[in-house]
Amino acid sequence: MIGEPLLVMLVEDNVDHAELIMRTLEEHRIANKVQHFLDGQSALDYLFRRGEYADPEKSPRPHVILLDLRLPRVDGIDVLRAIKESDEIKSLPVVILTTSEAEKDVARAYYNHANSYLVKPVGFEEFKQLMDDLGFYWLGWNTNPNIT
Amino acid sequence: MLYLKSLGEGMKRFFKMPEYGGDDLKNTARLIYNLSVGLILAIILFVVAMLFISPDLIPRAVALAGIVAPASLGAIILIRQKKLRAASILLTGVMWLAVTLGAITAGGVSAPILIGYAVVIIVSGLTVRGRLGIYLALFCIFTGILIAFAEAGGYLPEPQEYAPLARVSIYSFFFAILLLIQHLNAQNMQQLLRQTQAGETRYRSLLETIPTVTYISSLDPHLSKQYISPQVEKLLGHSHRAFLEDPRFWVKILHPEDKNRVLAECQQASTTLEPFEIEYRLMADDQREVWVKDEAIVVRDESGTPLYRLGVWTDITALKEVEEQQAELVRVMTKRAIQLQTAAHVSHAASSILDLNELLPSVVELIRSHFNYYYVGIFLLDKTKEWAILRAGTGEMGRKMVENGYRLKVEDSSMIGWCITHREPRIALDVGQDAVRFKNPYLPLTRSEMALPLLVGGEAIGAMTIQSAMEAAFTRADIITLQTMADQIAIAIQNAQLFTERADLIKILEAQNAELERFTYTVSHDLRSPLVTIRGFLGYLRQDVASKNMTRFEEDLNRIANAVDKMQTLLNSLLELSRIGRVTNPPEDIPFSEIVKETIDLLAGSMDAGRARIIVEGNFPIIRGDRLRLSEVMQNLLSNAMKFMGNQPNPTIVIGSAGFDTDGKPIFFVQDNGIGIDPQHHERIFGLFNRLDPTIEGTGIGLTLVRRIIENHGGRIWLQSEPGKGSTFFFTLPVPASE
Repeated sequence: MIGEPLLVMLVEDNVDHAELIMRTLEEHRIANKVQHFLDGQSALDYLFRRGEYADPEKSPRPHVILLDLRLPRVDGIDVLRAIKESDEIKSLPVVILTTSEAEKDVARAYYNHANSYLVKPVGFEEFKQLMDDLGFYWLGWNTNPNIT
Repeated sequence: MLYLKSLGEGMKRFFKMPEYGGDDLKNTARLIYNLSVGLILAIILFVVAMLFISPDLIPRAVALAGIVAPASLGAIILIRQKKLRAASILLTGVMWLAVTLGAITAGGVSAPILIGYAVVIIVSGLTVRGRLGIYLALFCIFTGILIAFAEAGGYLPEPQEYAPLARVSIYSFFFAILLLIQHLNAQNMQQLLRQTQAGETRYRSLLETIPTVTYISSLDPHLSKQYISPQVEKLLGHSHRAFLEDPRFWVKILHPEDKNRVLAECQQASTTLEPFEIEYRLMADDQREVWVKDEAIVVRDESGTPLYRLGVWTDITALKEVEEQQAELVRVMTKRAIQLQTAAHVSHAASSILDLNELLPSVVELIRSHFNYYYVGIFLLDKTKEWAILRAGTGEMGRKMVENGYRLKVEDSSMIGWCITHREPRIALDVGQDAVRFKNPYLPLTRSEMALPLLVGGEAIGAMTIQSAMEAAFTRADIITLQTMADQIAIAIQNAQLFTERADLIKILEAQNAELERFTYTVSHDLRSPLVTIRGFLGYLRQDVASKNMTRFEEDLNRIANAVDKMQTLLNSLLELSRIGRVTNPPEDIPFSEIVKETIDLLAGSMDAGRARIIVEGNFPIIRGDRLRLSEVMQNLLSNAMKFMGNQPNPTIVIGSAGFDTDGKPIFFVQDNGIGIDPQHHERIFGLFNRLDPTIEGTGIGLTLVRRIIENHGGRIWLQSEPGKGSTFFFTLPVPASE
C-alpha cells in the first residue's frame, strides 16, 4: 500500500466547507491527495472521464468519494445515482457529507446505494474528530475495491 | 137469468173447483163444469116439461136424459180430477150422440136437430182445446149429411110430426142451453178481461214507480221514443208530455259533448239489433247535467221479427260524481307522489353533488321535468347582496340567460327581488295580473310564475323561479312542497359553498404545509451550513494564533465574517418570504399595464438599468390583486432574466399577454433570450434557496417569492425554456369579479 497515493474525491460547492475538510484531512496526513469539485457536473465529468478528464492517467479512481447533497448544475443525489447506476464505477464507496439532517435526504441517499451518510457537525473538535474517524476508517481499515 | 145466476152460485158453493195452473184453463174448466150442471138441470126440466106438454115424447126425453145426465155427471167428476180434456170430449161427445140419436129417431134432420148440432159445435169450440174442436164440428156436419142421405134413401123411420108445443119445448131446451153457454162464456170473458187489466195495472204501477225511467223505442237510427215512463219528469225536469209528443225529444237534450258519440252508437245499434249499454249526459230542464246509463234490448215476436227496443235510463250522476272525485283524488295523489319523488331526487342531488356548478343545473332540470313546468331557474345573491345573479336555468333559454349574465336588482320591482327582500314566496297566477311580474323576452310562454326564497338560517341567499305556460298553475299545496324543496336546495347550496371553501382552505393549508416543510428543510441545511463554517474556522483561529500564522488568521477570520453575512442575508430573505403570507394589502382592480410601467420605471433607476432591452407588447387586461406584491413579481422576473443573459450580444426581454387559461384567467409572460434552463430543473428553480449557478449572485429566493405571490393570488406560474434558447415565464392572475 505504501507509495500508492490515497486519493479522496470531494464534491462540495461551499468553498469554506471544502477548505475545512481538506485542511483537516491533510493535517492528519490521512490522504495524500484531495481532489475537489465545486459542482456535480464536473465531478461526473471526472468520474466518467469526459472532456478534460478523458485521459485515465489524469483521472485516477478515488478511494472514497465525499459527496455533498445540494449542488449546483447536477444535484448531489443525481451524482450518486449516476455513480451507482454505472457498471464501471458503482463499486466506488460514496460517503454523503452534508449539513442536512432531513430524514428524506437520508432515506433518498441510502435508497440510491450511498455507502454512508454523515452530517457535518457544528463545532471544531467534533468536525476534526469526524474527519479523523472518516479518514482512518475509509482509507485505513476499509479494504477498497481495486478498479481502474 | 137471476135464477140461473143464483143456481150457478149455489153450485159453486156446493162443489169446490180444483186449482188449475193458468187463468185460461181455470176458465175453461169452470165453463165445462157449469155447462154440465146446467145440462143436468135442463134435461130434468125438459123431461118434466114433456110430461105436461107431449106425453108421447116422454120415452125419448127420458132416453135423452139417461144419456146426457150421467155423461154430465161424468164430466163433473173428470173436472174435479183435473182431467179437463177428457171432460170436454166426453161432454161434447155425449151431446153429439144425443142430437144424432134424436135425429135418427125423429126420422131426419129437422130444424131442432140442426140447432142441436149448432149447440154441439159451439160447446166444442168453447171447451175442447186445439184442433179437436174443428174436427168435432166437421164430424157433426158429416153426421148431418149422412143422416140426410139416410132420410132420402128411406132408411129412417117416418118423420115425426111434433105438436107445436113440443116443438117449442125442444127449441126452448136448446135455446136455454145456448143461453147458458153464452152467459157462461160472457162471464169467462169478463173474468179474463179483469185478470188482464189487473195484470197490466200491476205492471204499469211497477214500471212507473221503480226509480228508473223505462222506455220503448222504435228501431230507427234515432231510437225514437214511443213510450217513456213518467219518472222522466222527475229525473230531468222536462215534462213527460214533451217526450210523448216528440219521440226525438231526448236527442235534443243530449249533452253537446256526448251527442255524436251517442248517436253513432244508436245508429250502430239500429243495424246490429244487439243489446246495448251507453253512458251519457242529458241536459235537465234547469241545465243540470244528468248522467244516465241507457240499457236496452230488442223485443221480438214469436217468429223472431224485431218489434221494438225496450230500455231503461238509470240515473248514475251520483256514481259519476264519485268517479270524478276518485279521479281527482288519484290526480292529487299522483301529483303528491311526483312531488315526493322529486323531493327525494332533489335531496339526493343536494346531498350527493357538492359542486355548485353541477348541483344547480341538475336541480332545476329535476324540478322542471318532474312537474312539467315551462322553466325553472335559480338566482344567487352576489357579494354586495344588491344583485341576484342567475346561476342555473333550464333549457336553451336558461343556458343563454346564464351565459349573458342575467341578473335582477334585489328590490320590489321583480318577483325574485321581492321574494328575496321579503323572504317569502310569491306567486302570480296570471302574469298579466301582477304588476311586479314583467315579461321576460327569453321566456315568452310564461303564464304563471312562482318565486321562492332560498333561505339559510332566516337569511336569503337567493331565490328560485318556477314558471308555467299555464294560467293558475300553482296551488297552495304546491307552494308548500316547492318551498320545502327550495329550503333543501338552499342548505345544499350552503353546504356546497362551505365545501368549496373548505376545499380551498385545505388546498391553501396543504400548500402552506409543503412550504413549511421546505422551510424547515432549508433552515436545517442552509442555515446550518454557515454555522459549520463559523464553528470550524473558530477552532482554526485558535491554532493560527498559537502558531502565530497571522495570514491564515486573517483568512479564517474573513471566512467567518462572510458566513455571518450570509446567515444574515438568509434570515432577511426568510423574513421577507414569511411576510408575503401574513402582510397583505387590500386587493384592487389594476390595469396590468400600470404594473409593468411602474416596474420598468423602477428598474431604470437601478444598477440593472440598460442591461437589457425591454419590449412591452400586446394589450393587458385589468387584473385584481395586491399592487405592491405584483410589482415585486415583475421586478424579480425582470432581474432574473437580466442575470441569466449569459454572453448574449443583444439581451432582450419581452413582456406580453397570451390569452386566457381554461378558468378564464389572463396569461402573462416575461421572455428572455438568455442562457435558458434545462427542463429537468424547471420545478427546482422555484424552490427556496435553490440556485442553479453558484457563481451568479443571489440568495435563491427570488423565484420562490414570485411563485408564492402568484399562488396567493390564485394564479399559476410555469416555465418554458431550453438551454441556449432563452426562457419564458408564464403566469396567470385573477380578473375583477364579474359584473
